[in-house]
This record gives sequence, C-alpha cells and structure tokens, in this order.
Amino acid sequence: MIEIEARKGAASRTARLDAVFAALADPTRRAIIERLSRSDARVTEVAEPFQMSLNAVSKHIRVLEASGVVERHRQGRDHILSINTRSLDEVDGWIVRTRRYWEERLDAMERLLRELKKGHKLGPKDRKHGSR
Amino acid sequence: MDRDDATGPIVQIRRRVKAGAEQIFDLWTKPDLMARWMSPFPGTVDCKANCDLRPGGTFSLVMSSEESSREVSGTYVQIDRPRKLVFTWIGPLTNNVNTLVTLELHPRGDETELVLTHERLPTTAICEGHTRGWGNILDHLADAVVKEF
Repeated sequence: MIEIEARKGAASRTARLDAVFAALADPTRRAIIERLSRSDARVTEVAEPFQMSLNAVSKHIRVLEASGVVERHRQGRDHILSINTRSLDEVDGWIVRTRRYWEERLDAMERLLRELKKGHKLGPKDRKHGSR
Repeated sequence: MDRDDATGPIVQIRRRVKAGAEQIFDLWTKPDLMARWMSPFPGTVDCKANCDLRPGGTFSLVMSSEESSREVSGTYVQIDRPRKLVFTWIGPLTNNVNTLVTLELHPRGDETELVLTHERLPTTAICEGHTRGWGNILDHLADAVVKEF
C-alpha cells in the first residue's frame, strides 16, 4: 500500500515537472517568468514589453498558470500575477541531480581511462590486476 | 535561486578528456567497458551491460548490490562512431520517464572535448511513447535530430 502511494506520488511529481518544463520551453513564457521574478505584476504590466496582442500574452500566462509556475490573485478589479517559486525549485532539483550524476560518472570514466592506459603500459599479463 | 539554470530542461557538461575519441566512444558502447564505470551505486557488486548498437536497438545496465538491484535502459537513436551517440535513457535518475542523452566527441590533438547533453523529452513525445510503443518516439526524435543539424 505504502509503495503504491509512493509510486503515485512520484508519478504526479513527474507529471508536474513535465508541465513545468513544457511551460519553460517557450522564450516568451521565460521572459514573463523573468518579469515576475522581479515583482508581482498585473496582466497588462506583464504584457506591455511584448510585441504581441494582450490576447496572445494571456494565452502564455494561462499555460504558466496551468503548470503551477504562475499564480493569479484578485485585488479588487485587478488580476495580480506572481511566481510560485516552489514549482521552479523542483526543476532546479532535477537539474542539480542530473548534473551531479553525470559529473560523477565522467569522473569514473576518466579513472577507468587512466587504469586502462596503465594496464596497457604494463602489458597484457598485468592488465588483469588493474581492473575490478 | 539561479534563474538561468531554471529556464530549460537541459543539462550540459563539457569536459576535456585525455584520450582519443574512439576509445571514449568504446567506453560508452562496449558492454564489458560500460559495466566498469557506469554504475552509480557505491555498493555495486555486479553490473551487467547489454547493448544492441544500431539505431532502434536497445541497451540495458543492471546494477546489483547486496540489498537491491536497479536498471537503466534506453534505445539508440543515432550512432556515428566516434563523433556522436544519441540514445534515450530511462531509470531511477529520471523517475522512470524517458529522457534523451547526446554524447558528442570533438578531437583536440591528443585530447577529446566531450559534450554531454541530457534533456527531458516533450510531454507529448513521452505520452506517445507510452501508448504507441517505440516507433513514434523514434520518428519524433529522428526529426528533432535532423532539424538541429
């Protein structure tokens, strides 16, 4: 039971992460996130610097909201957008884990290369001692 | 938080390696050599690698320690010895979803510049891969690879 729950948790985490990655894949949406990382802002303020219609920017904002990266609050008649930093932390987590994984693997690969080079110099008879 | 790092699903590592590209390529594609460095688990007592080195062929790495065993597997997308190797990658690191790894080797005199790129696949490609098997995902990847180069 616990295992099934854990797997469900991992699956929804994965789905969430995929939605965040898809949201970040677009340059306009990345620019919107950059804007909101400076401060919360109204939809019109966010749309201002872009050479596209408010409607087009709104579509991008909706994708960001669906992924959980951006949240919308009402303040009277204004819609205020803000970033949900927790969703971005998860992305950072994947990137950090993956980078660490490959750095360690490449270290191991280079150790093996040195081992193989040494084994080669010693000749085929001694090579076996150098390997696991 | 570093915003630059949070803008894309790509991890890229560059490294100068003191070896020729052919030798490095072999470390990534010959099962007996793969088994000697690819296992990330310190307690690994046994690492078995299998690979069918052709586009569409699969590979797997099974790593066993005293307590448990883990598996990493994938499918080759592009094989261009000794310059480039592209394969899908699925395992505990990726939460068991498909990802894409590209290894590029650029000769620099006696050394080789290694560029490793690991990226998550678009969600749609992952869904197609799960529901319709490997054919679609490979077509999708082949397109992506052609477009990029």
